Amino acid sequence: MIIKLKDVNKTYPGIVPLHVLKDINLEIERGELVSIMGASGSGKSTLLNILGILDNYDSGEYFLDGVLIRNLNENRAAELRNRMIGFVFQSFNLINYKNALENVALPLFYQGVSRRKRNEMAMQQLERMGLADRAHHLPGELSGGQKQRVAIARALITRPSIILADEPTGALDSHTSKEVMEVFRSLNTEGMTIVIVTHDPKVGQATNRIIHIADGQIVNE
Amino acid sequence: MNKPILSLFDPDNWREIGHALARNKTRTFLTAFGIFWGTAMLAMLMGGASGLKGVLYRNFSGFATNCGAIEPGQRTISYMGFNKGSWWELTMEDAEVIRAAAPAIDALTTVDINGVTAAYGMQSTSARAMGVESSYSRIQNPVIENGRFINQSDDEKTRKVAVIGRNVAKTLFDSKNPVGERVSLNGVYFTIIGVASQTGEASIGGRIDDNFILPASTHRQVFNRGNKIGFIVFTAPSGHRPSDNETSIRRILSRRHSIHPDDENAVGMMDISEMFEMVDNIFMGVSLLALFVGLGSLMAGVVGVGNIMWIIVKERTHEFGVRRAIGAKPLDITMQELSESIVLTLVAGAAGVCFAALILGIADKLTYDPVLGNAGFEIPFGMAVGIILTFFVLGSAAGTLPAIKAMRIKPIEALQDK
Repeated sequence: MIIKLKDVNKTYPGIVPLHVLKDINLEIERGELVSIMGASGSGKSTLLNILGILDNYDSGEYFLDGVLIRNLNENRAAELRNRMIGFVFQSFNLINYKNALENVALPLFYQGVSRRKRNEMAMQQLERMGLADRAHHLPGELSGGQKQRVAIARALITRPSIILADEPTGALDSHTSKEVMEVFRSLNTEGMTIVIVTHDPKVGQATNRIIHIADGQIVNE
Repeated sequence: MNKPILSLFDPDNWREIGHALARNKTRTFLTAFGIFWGTAMLAMLMGGASGLKGVLYRNFSGFATNCGAIEPGQRTISYMGFNKGSWWELTMEDAEVIRAAAPAIDALTTVDINGVTAAYGMQSTSARAMGVESSYSRIQNPVIENGRFINQSDDEKTRKVAVIGRNVAKTLFDSKNPVGERVSLNGVYFTIIGVASQTGEASIGGRIDDNFILPASTHRQVFNRGNKIGFIVFTAPSGHRPSDNETSIRRILSRRHSIHPDDENAVGMMDISEMFEMVDNIFMGVSLLALFVGLGSLMAGVVGVGNIMWIIVKERTHEFGVRRAIGAKPLDITMQELSESIVLTLVAGAAGVCFAALILGIADKLTYDPVLGNAGFEIPFGMAVGIILTFFVLGSAAGTLPAIKAMRIKPIEALQDK
């Protein structure tokens, strides 16, 4: 089991505290392709942030690949994000003054991998995404689908345990969305665990398991 | 995992710094100009103050700065039969007693000056004849252009020899070498043993260039001065000031010349070291003012850097969030932000120091004097390094708060920042 959440709760403090996740229990096996669906404000993004060690939870337990994720300091959290998680964002989040190769190689920079080695590995990932000829192009020179494939290559470069994708097709047209989902499915067939947060039913249907979340609770699967 | 400090040496890190600074070229240029100008101002003011001091001090070149002088005057208090207003005169014996009894005398010479008509062949001119002891050269170091200066033996043997000043030599001898020639001073013939001049402007009894310098004993004898002398000039040994001798000298002269012990105006005493000290203090004040003004300009530049770093942190918050999401540690972000401010300050600061060195170099060329040499409009290497290091430290400090702010941004908040 790669992800195990047990009675996880999350409340945002304020004049009126917002209890966004309520006793979440969730298990995801290695090699699953899962989508988390829900309306805006349902808590699905908060859940993804907790899964991605970008945010803390208030109570309960979260195990990622057997490691208890709780009260980590920023350095440990950064280390685990770098080694175990690959992020794919709706708005790609590529660094616009770095070319595709440099963007893909960036996570390895933070591992201290030499420039030559990380560029070599980044090129392999771009080739895998069919973007070798775009390696030296800046994000502004790429189409939406290409940008997202660069982002996926970046997510894969550290050989993470899991890929977390937040609305990965949200900024793409239907044809490009389909292509990106094909990439995810292809990666999944190679054994990669992928969790996609989406509100697009078509994306959900393209996954093997759909988890519905509403009002901070998992309502059905 | 990566060691953030080591990542500073990664070529990609330097490319990122270049990208970050080049992203808004006008802003970067204006910030860099603030630092450039601050450094240049500090360096130019410090170097300029040093050059102005040099311009003044080179006028004293060859002149002992720890020098004192004693000259006779009028009594202002009636005492032991001498009326108020009566004159007294210094004698050779006074000089001997002072030389033996004053506590802090290094070199001492009697000086006596009178106007003469100098003649050589058909040429003649008016000049001053100055009788001094050989120790004179330890108080005002003459530039011997030809021959030699008078020595102790000349004085002891009352030789009729003279050192001729360069200007007088030019008048009497034109281009001919005067050494070995005989010159008439008020009808008495002297053999010229040397030609002398002086580098600075300060002098005892007028510029050497315009004088004849004779052995003191010869001068007294030839010009019928008996045992009278004009004044005494002396230096104090290292660690003492000429004024350390004042009480002792006043007591000696008071006793020997029936001067009231409280009659300070009757004995003229001058401590030139006090004037130098005053000049030193003025220039220390000028240097401090220059430092203050320069540091003010520099601080304005540093505040500008800090300000820009705050803006850069704000602009790049989302990017920092992305970096944090893919594995950057807080210190990675801090080092990245710091390195940008350090590079900006170091490059602009070094350019400012180089510009200041260029301007000071031009000022030094313009104030160059063929005799006195350079004034010293320059930034010593140590000062230049010091200014750049100061900027390095201040640049780091200016970038520290924004860098800490960048470090503290939570990745989730940074990712949500648009």
